[in-house]
Amino acid sequence: MTDSLFLFAAIADTPVAVRADEIEAVVRLREVVPVPRVPPYVRGLAALRSRVLTVIDMHRRIFGAESRGDSAAAHAIVAEIAGHSYGFCVDALTDICHAAQGVQPVRGRIDPAWAPFVSGLVEREGRSHLLLTLTDFAAMPAGPSLAA
Amino acid sequence: MDEILGEFIAETLETLEVLSGEVVAWERDPADGARLDAFFRFFHTVKGSCGFLNLPRFERLAHAAEDVLAAIRRGQRSADPATVGAVLAIMDRIGALARSAGEGRAPDLAESDDDALLDALHLASDGFEIFEPLPSPAAPQAEAPALAPAVAAAEEEEKPAEPQRRAGAPRSIRLPLALIDQLMNGISDMVLARNDLARRMREHGADPELESSFERLSANVADLRDMISKTRMQRIDRLYAAIPRMVRDLCRELGKQVALELDGGDVEMDREMIEMVLDPLTHIVRNALDHGIETPAARRAAGKAESGTLRLVARQSGNQIVIEVSDDGRGIDRAALVEKALAAGLHTPAEAALLSDADRLALVFHPGLSTAERVTAVSGRGVGMDVVRANVEQIGGVIAIDSHAGCGTTITLRVPLTLTIIPGLIVRAGGHCLAMPRGNVVELLHDNSAMVAIEAVGGAHIATIRGERHALVDLEDVLGIARAEAGPGPRTLMVVRSSVGRPYVLGVESVESNEELVIRPASPVVTAAGLFAGMTLPDNGQPMLLLDAAGIAQVARLPLREAELHALPAAQAEAEQAETLQALMYRERDGALRLMPLGVVDRVEDLPAGRIVRTGEGAFARIEDRLLPALNAQGEIGATVKALRLHDGRGELCYLIEEVLDIVAAPARIDVVLAGPRVAGLVMVDEAQYEMADPFAIFAEAARAAVPAAERAISCHIADADDPWMRNILATLLIQAGYRVSIGTLPEAAPDVILRTEAGAPVSGTPAPVLTLSAEGAEGGAIYRYDRAGLMAAIARATRSAA
Repeated sequence: MTDSLFLFAAIADTPVAVRADEIEAVVRLREVVPVPRVPPYVRGLAALRSRVLTVIDMHRRIFGAESRGDSAAAHAIVAEIAGHSYGFCVDALTDICHAAQGVQPVRGRIDPAWAPFVSGLVEREGRSHLLLTLTDFAAMPAGPSLAA
Repeated sequence: MDEILGEFIAETLETLEVLSGEVVAWERDPADGARLDAFFRFFHTVKGSCGFLNLPRFERLAHAAEDVLAAIRRGQRSADPATVGAVLAIMDRIGALARSAGEGRAPDLAESDDDALLDALHLASDGFEIFEPLPSPAAPQAEAPALAPAVAAAEEEEKPAEPQRRAGAPRSIRLPLALIDQLMNGISDMVLARNDLARRMREHGADPELESSFERLSANVADLRDMISKTRMQRIDRLYAAIPRMVRDLCRELGKQVALELDGGDVEMDREMIEMVLDPLTHIVRNALDHGIETPAARRAAGKAESGTLRLVARQSGNQIVIEVSDDGRGIDRAALVEKALAAGLHTPAEAALLSDADRLALVFHPGLSTAERVTAVSGRGVGMDVVRANVEQIGGVIAIDSHAGCGTTITLRVPLTLTIIPGLIVRAGGHCLAMPRGNVVELLHDNSAMVAIEAVGGAHIATIRGERHALVDLEDVLGIARAEAGPGPRTLMVVRSSVGRPYVLGVESVESNEELVIRPASPVVTAAGLFAGMTLPDNGQPMLLLDAAGIAQVARLPLREAELHALPAAQAEAEQAETLQALMYRERDGALRLMPLGVVDRVEDLPAGRIVRTGEGAFARIEDRLLPALNAQGEIGATVKALRLHDGRGELCYLIEEVLDIVAAPARIDVVLAGPRVAGLVMVDEAQYEMADPFAIFAEAARAAVPAAERAISCHIADADDPWMRNILATLLIQAGYRVSIGTLPEAAPDVILRTEAGAPVSGTPAPVLTLSAEGAEGGAIYRYDRAGLMAAIARATRSAA
């Protein structure tokens, strides 16, 4: 049943879902040490016991640096991707629960900003949530858009 | 040697254990390719390892079995039950021998028994011609002692002592590395907890008794961490330990002469990595000796020193260990590789024609391709490089190959430092804390120190420390962050040396502390900045980035040219040294013997003295109505003078000399660099040293003396449009000499020089110099109009002073 267990959250007031088996933990971020010369969606580094998380601001990753000022998001989804530990900031956490119908294909046309990250829809309490894959957020963006 | 032997035996037995599970399956399905490969690799490894451990008995068995399996792989023979049985019997025998060797006793199976096993293999291979042309596996070993009786005798003397030594050897156990990793992480957590506690104790002001017991705990934790880190780290020396012997033995076997250079043995590396790298490295070294370095005769024929050079260099570069193996052998024959690829059906001829050089070179890594013309006991038949690459990639490493025909091959292994501990300096810059590996820091100074002078010249920042100039980079600028408000103290300068490039000075706000840092790889998105080698969690619990000294130099665009020369892989540097250029040996007019690179000499000519025109500071030679700067025109000139016409691709000049002596092959690399004018340095030619002229300096000198070159044609304005001589004769002459000519009314763009006749109206309203020509002769500052050289020189002079 873990297949149908999802974490529900919100980014820019949009309901999103992440597969629970991608997630290691959800933590409250304490101090994030900024990193110079990296894309603006990298908020910095945060310590989690003896591990160091690279903190990715999902909002900025989706909408770009100008989308808003410094993220205030206090919670991060912790995941281990390709041997590195990441913390993904979301704006708000809603719930962790099962979605009976599992993942459904995307209906309708998705905003181009979201499109690269959305792989399906998950329903919770009658609302559709965009299914995001954390690996996509850890990957380097294509093209030379790295200027800090 | 004992240690290596012990490892070889342990490894062999381990592999046998794994393979024993496969044996039955293979017997059932002998055609199974994957299993066949596994067995093949086993024998190959055994053969390779015992080659340098000097275990001829193992080697002979393994080689024979490997031959048979190779034939099966090629489809030249089938894996019939008799063959499989014979191969398995050899496996068992190797196992038995390994066990007895491991227990330090003589094998209880006589060596003659091996022959029976080998015969069985022969019988099974009955009628297969592939077996015959192969060199007898035992032959090279049998010859070896004959070549070196003294060494062999010495080894025999050593032998009886071995069992006792082994009995007294320190006991050891094998542990899974995962366990050590867990220990390491546990210790890291413990250190953080200790630091947290220390902070709290400071805040609350603990009583002295509590503090002293905390100190004890703290010291214990630190010791424990050191010990656990030591379990993982080893010097690369261990990797190097087996190589000299192996090289010596192989050279003897192959009849080659090789000088071995090992460098960077003090670099520390995760022991797991050392284990993983040992095998690929051994293969690479064997390949270099067997296929790369030529026999002394072949080297002599190729004009190289009889003795080849094999160089192993290890260094840490950011979060990677780089190991370079370079030889100065014959390089990799791309054509032969392509041919093999065609024969093996890997590529069609059309595809092969499209392969880039790198692609061709990469064929080396393809299973089953080996450029060796014949199979030798040393490095086999192409199991090598594909296995090497697989092994390196398996540990997250990268292997790169660079080869120049005739000059040698460099193979570079880059393997990650998954978990290492390095001493680091924690520096502060613009509110950020960052770590710099202490190994990269040569010196620390304050910027107000008397030993330092800082200046900014044309945008470049230079720090002169005790007379030595270094590029100065401020860390804040490289990181693109604002500098913090000037603190009370001076800034700190670090003299930083990276693995590439020359040392530079990195300015930081301050150096905070000096700590042992556990380095973990940074995530790709952080590494992409090119400035960070990893990250760490120092004792204060604040995550921190580890700076990459080479990356900073790169991002700051420091000129590395000079250093790049030093950093050239040895083989290439050697090649450069060996590279020669044609040079003209000539005698200067002052009698000195010098060399001039032939490439810049267009021609050698005799110039009549009258063609040389001396002007105020320089001289010109008139050649085909052009004036070329002439150097060395001072002093008496006879009726004619020899001149080298030098060209730099666009401009030309005449370099007057006494005589041409010879054309010689001179080394392209200057042995001693001199700072003298016109001389680049000293080179050795046939046991004598000569000064090599510096064409750059010569052209630079000429450019100062000369008419500003053809970049922008010099415009001459002829003021008297009505004078037929001026219009018809002078204009043509000027045009021929490459000037732009306007006649009559002044053009809009001011001309560089104006020519007028004595009789014409005076010219005014222009800053351009005016030359007056006279039909009668040079009087009153006028130039005689048929004194062509004088005229040309005057124009040159006038335009130069105008410029």
